[in-house]
Amino acid sequence: MKTFAELNFPGRLIAVEGLDGSGKSTQIYLLKRWLELQGLKVFFSEWNSSSLVKAATSKGKKRELLSPTTFSLIHATDFADRYERQLVPLLRAGYIVLCDRYIFTAFARDTVRGCPPEWVRGIYNFAALPDLTFFFKANLEVSLQRILDGRPQLKYFEAGMDLRLSTDPYESFRIFQGRILEQYLAMSTEFKFHLMNANHAVESQQSIVRDLVRSKINLNDFQGQNPARV
Amino acid sequence: MKRTSRSAKTGLQLMARRPGPRHFYGHGIPGVDPAKLAGKLIVVEGADGSGRSTQIARLVQWLEGVGHATVQVGLSRSTLVSEELDQAKNGNILSRTTLSLFYATDFADQLENLILPALKSGFMVLADRYIYTLMVRDLVRGMDEAWLKNLYGMALVPDAVFYLNVSPEELVQRNFSKNHVLDFWESGMDLGLSRDLFDSFLQYQGLVGKQFQRLQSTYGFEMVDAHRPVEEINMELQKKISALIKKI
Repeated sequence: MKTFAELNFPGRLIAVEGLDGSGKSTQIYLLKRWLELQGLKVFFSEWNSSSLVKAATSKGKKRELLSPTTFSLIHATDFADRYERQLVPLLRAGYIVLCDRYIFTAFARDTVRGCPPEWVRGIYNFAALPDLTFFFKANLEVSLQRILDGRPQLKYFEAGMDLRLSTDPYESFRIFQGRILEQYLAMSTEFKFHLMNANHAVESQQSIVRDLVRSKINLNDFQGQNPARV
Repeated sequence: MKRTSRSAKTGLQLMARRPGPRHFYGHGIPGVDPAKLAGKLIVVEGADGSGRSTQIARLVQWLEGVGHATVQVGLSRSTLVSEELDQAKNGNILSRTTLSLFYATDFADQLENLILPALKSGFMVLADRYIYTLMVRDLVRGMDEAWLKNLYGMALVPDAVFYLNVSPEELVQRNFSKNHVLDFWESGMDLGLSRDLFDSFLQYQGLVGKQFQRLQSTYGFEMVDAHRPVEEINMELQKKISALIKKI
């Protein structure tokens, strides 16, 4: 597998990964604002957001119809739709594409659900690797607390209830997230994750993110036609 | 993760139907022990107009007549995604990897919720098309074969696969006598082979037929000459299925 740069795409893809509640979405939002305010061509894409596939996914989730296999495949379908219709054309057009979660989310989650890792990786091998991947590693208890404080109602699949880890959704969520974290850490070196200490202040994390982006990507190459939107 | 041609070849051999205990083509479905699937999985493949549904209806009659419980499955019939899949097809808005994975999701949903439970209960499962149609459609559209084989490694190896072989010219006639219209997808219009529907249909069905012939040796389909009368074909299928059932 190669990165977009290695495949000679003019665009660059930056991905953030981490557990729910690790603060990665805040960080990528701030990165997006910083790039936009410089007038650069930026596009932001979220996991599980393709409009057509979403209808099927939410039905499957609401009615608890998904098995580990169909859970994996329907998310792969969603990813493929965004990848082929948005990410690749934008990267060909020289955009900086920011992804809140990328294929590593599937690698971690689907494997924890019991899908064979080689099968999952094989399915996603049509996708190129990000040029830069940040992994936000927070203390597990801190991530859990952030989610649990804000949203006391945990959803069935989000809590990993389909794995029958515990009849208590909160306990199930803890075990599930712990296992996902293990999977992430196991692939961290292979996929060159930049480990971020997500227990630090938002501002200091963001300044590390911006420094790294600036040092790895020649931002002058991504000037857009339009003036900066404020 | 990247496969060399050598490993793709080994993969190809692994995919072949082997006699002996029931197994999946690849990794299968997590937590399912194929040895516990007592029933028989019989697949009928072939283009639209090759007589699949007629043959399956007659097989069901016959099997139930002799006391076997049957279940019928087909493509894009899953509770999970069939509606959305139809929408996507009507709009022709999904790119090929996406459509391929959408079909795979539909297949997996039916495999897990219909095929495997029915086999576990000792049913005769009659599948109107199976992974081969899905693979062939994608192969004609230039998808990577090794990728498809990994994807469909979740599928169970059937007890028999009958491919109803009909020439493209004859298929045209049958489609017209039934509907007086050629289907957009069955004509491969998304491929841009020709702007003329009739011409595209012939070219596309020719390509599909070629891919099926190519997969035949790997997967061990029984090629059935489906130009013959319905009754004659059905007798041949019954004979072959009887032999299969006796082995229980």
